[in-house]
Amino acid sequence: MSIILEHLTKRYDGHPVVNNVSLEVGDGEFFVLLGSSGSGKTTILSLIAGLTHADEGRILLHGRDVTHLPTQQRRVGFVFQNYALFQYMTVAENIEFGLSIRKIPAAERKRRRDELLELVGLAGLGDRMPRQLSGGQQQRVALARALAYRPDVLLLDEPLGALDAKIRIELRRSLKSIQRQLGIATIFVTHDQEEAFDLADRVGIMSFGRLIEVGAPEDLYQRPRTEFVASFLGSANLLLGNVNSQGVTVGPLHFPIEQEILETGQERRVQVLFRPEDVALAPEPKALDCPRLGQAEVEEVSFGGAYERLRLRLPPIPNVRPISPPSPFGTKSILVDATRSPEQAARFPLRPGAKAWVGVHRIHALAHPGLSFLIITDGSLRAQAAIELGGQIARLAHARVTLLGCGQKEEVMQEHLQEARKQLGSGLASLEARLSPEPVAAAITKAVEQQPFDLIVLGFNPQEDIPLAEQILQVGEHHLLLIPRPQAPPSHALICVARGEPGKDDVLFAGRLVRHLGADAALLSVLSGNDPDAKRRAERFLEDGIQSLALLGVPAQAIVHQGQPVEVIAQEVKRGGYDLLVMGAPLAGQKGQISLSGVVEQALNTINDRATLIVRSHFIGAQIYPLIIES
Amino acid sequence: MEKTPPLSLERRLSQPAGKNVSRRPLPWGRWTMRSIALTYLTVMLIIPLLVILQDGLRAGLSGLWAQVSNPIAWHALKLTLWTAAVMTIINTGMGALTAYVLVRYEFPGKSLLNSVVDLPLSIPTLVTGVMLVVLFGPQQALGVWLKQKLGLSVIFAPPGIILALLFITFPFVVRAIQPVLMSLDRTQEDAAATLGANAWTIFRRITLPPLILPMASGALLSFARAIGEFGSIVIVAGNIPMYSQTAAVYVLGEVESENRLGASAVSVVMLAIAFCLMMIVDAFQRRSRSNLS
Repeated sequence: MSIILEHLTKRYDGHPVVNNVSLEVGDGEFFVLLGSSGSGKTTILSLIAGLTHADEGRILLHGRDVTHLPTQQRRVGFVFQNYALFQYMTVAENIEFGLSIRKIPAAERKRRRDELLELVGLAGLGDRMPRQLSGGQQQRVALARALAYRPDVLLLDEPLGALDAKIRIELRRSLKSIQRQLGIATIFVTHDQEEAFDLADRVGIMSFGRLIEVGAPEDLYQRPRTEFVASFLGSANLLLGNVNSQGVTVGPLHFPIEQEILETGQERRVQVLFRPEDVALAPEPKALDCPRLGQAEVEEVSFGGAYERLRLRLPPIPNVRPISPPSPFGTKSILVDATRSPEQAARFPLRPGAKAWVGVHRIHALAHPGLSFLIITDGSLRAQAAIELGGQIARLAHARVTLLGCGQKEEVMQEHLQEARKQLGSGLASLEARLSPEPVAAAITKAVEQQPFDLIVLGFNPQEDIPLAEQILQVGEHHLLLIPRPQAPPSHALICVARGEPGKDDVLFAGRLVRHLGADAALLSVLSGNDPDAKRRAERFLEDGIQSLALLGVPAQAIVHQGQPVEVIAQEVKRGGYDLLVMGAPLAGQKGQISLSGVVEQALNTINDRATLIVRSHFIGAQIYPLIIES
Repeated sequence: MEKTPPLSLERRLSQPAGKNVSRRPLPWGRWTMRSIALTYLTVMLIIPLLVILQDGLRAGLSGLWAQVSNPIAWHALKLTLWTAAVMTIINTGMGALTAYVLVRYEFPGKSLLNSVVDLPLSIPTLVTGVMLVVLFGPQQALGVWLKQKLGLSVIFAPPGIILALLFITFPFVVRAIQPVLMSLDRTQEDAAATLGANAWTIFRRITLPPLILPMASGALLSFARAIGEFGSIVIVAGNIPMYSQTAAVYVLGEVESENRLGASAVSVVMLAIAFCLMMIVDAFQRRSRSNLS
């Protein structure tokens, strides 16, 4: 192995920008790290080159542990996005720089320099100054410079990012052939999927500091293991269906099992992926030569050069939930993306508004991770209530549970965790117990950094625990269920919605959780004034919310009231007998801090006898590392 | 009634496009602005300069030379130049170091230090002189100690002049280098490190070359500024002819003793030096800018 990374972690301001990354790159392999900006891919290159130093983990290059070596001794060739040529040296001097540092004799330097100029296609331009060259030529010089002293590995940080489309493709080709010629192990960082697929022997997908999946381009595209990769690469139609020993079912679609997705033999939920090119369209159901999904209405048609792109709208299908493309808030329908070749388009022309039968040629099923809960316990009575209710909800939601014991002496905790495990007992998708010697907030931060959760369950005393709740909301993109006392699983949820984008997230996550409980929901909007326009807007928003909940299978009603928010909520809770209160977390302040003071805090203090779910919208904007679903 | 004939197509085409659409603004505005600026420059700068030139050359070049080569004037000019030169060497090194530290390192009090750098520009130079006298004066502890231990007298002697000049010209080199250093692309240094260059080689071959010109222009600026310094030196140097009297102070003496020719002659020499330096600084700055772009 040329490059081995072991559990590499790098933090800035306490947040991991590279989070426990392990990777092996073989001799002569062309490995591409693909991810959106800020996903930590460039930091990984800097760590390998020693331009920044890792907080944890090891780096081995050709078996040599370089983790603590300075950059100069690592023998890595590095190509930067902005070329980073030495402006005060000629092209030739640039290329010879690494050789002159190593005191290579002038004649040998000249020979090597001419060889490399020829390799990168710039023979005869050695006397130019860098600024006399075009961007593409400058990057060729940078490549020659990096390769001149025969480094052990080659690291390329978005080297084509600053170039025009045409030059980019040209340089991509030469880069690939040069790499093949030299057989040097290479890591290439990019956010461009086409570039990644074109160049890579293997691709690694990064998101928020984590290396999510590694594989050959085709495998990752056709057979991803995670929802993230499925929807990150290309466009994906992703629906939630079921799998059993007969095969995979999504509404009317039925496919025999193509892989070992079913381990236990039990029926369970799976995510079903089909790519736009796997979608078939026909005027009649009989004309489809593959399983059909239903009749759809064409919503958009666009010209994509070599193919035609369509977006279709299907009526809701019982027991099927769309994941990607996401259904817009306020619609019940399922969206499907399709592409067709010009011949297919000519045979069956479609315009927006037309009807077509939708069939699917091929699917790929991937495990549905479901929800994951983190239940916090310090052995107190309240924590006991949290374990009990959290466990019951997890059982109903098929959620994976991690039990985190903290805030107590280790021996006491050990015993308590044993007990809690027994109490949670069977029927959980998975249960893991962890012990942390640290105080509660720190323990949660660490746990969330290791693995993101959807929901954190906390036994809660409104008099004491508000700051803790704020801290918890700040350290990750999870929601928070606060349980002040023992109660049965909720059957009526009151979702207090603020209008606007964050309000949509509140409705959708609450709906996802409530659906598993078999509960019904009421959407409550509290108006401060008597403005009829505001009332109309609120009603329309709630109506959209009801549609979106219907797609999830949650029956819901809308309530609009006028008055003091907390008073209205308290009255409504009493009147309707709701046993779960749902509220959105307030937006974060400028430094990313979340404060619950105001309506949320007042409501928590007033309605302190039943569970409250605080939903953290992804619009909140605190500086945290968001949720990633991993298998 | 005779109507104006419609423009033929050819004529219409031959008119520059857009001429009918947007009328050019009247040239008055631009000419007024230019002439105000140029008149101001002439009245405020060029006329006084020409007058002193004319005055200095009143007795011809030989007359001017006779005034300048008078031993007291000659010594004053030499003293002025060598103290300024010593100051420039020290200031270039320390100014570059200060700029580097201010740009590249984070430390508590950095922004305060950054604003203190400019302080000498706003302190009256007389005050600078007084400060130095208070610190190094022959009756002060530090001055006595230096005199006894090292035999070095600072005040009323050339070292005092150099200290005063160092203080006054401190911002010039720092402020010349700082913006260039800030705009430097750090990845070039990273690239050099991956190619195996150690810190010293990186500094010498990558970081330093673009700083040479700004450093030189900052150095020349401070040199030029130092030649004309009067306020602090008149307090610090004690005005002892043939020992600690600089050119500027000499000019004052000549004016007071009503030797206008002597004053003008030495002034013309100082002016000539300053003018040449400014031309060089200007050329340096232009080259530095074109290198960076």
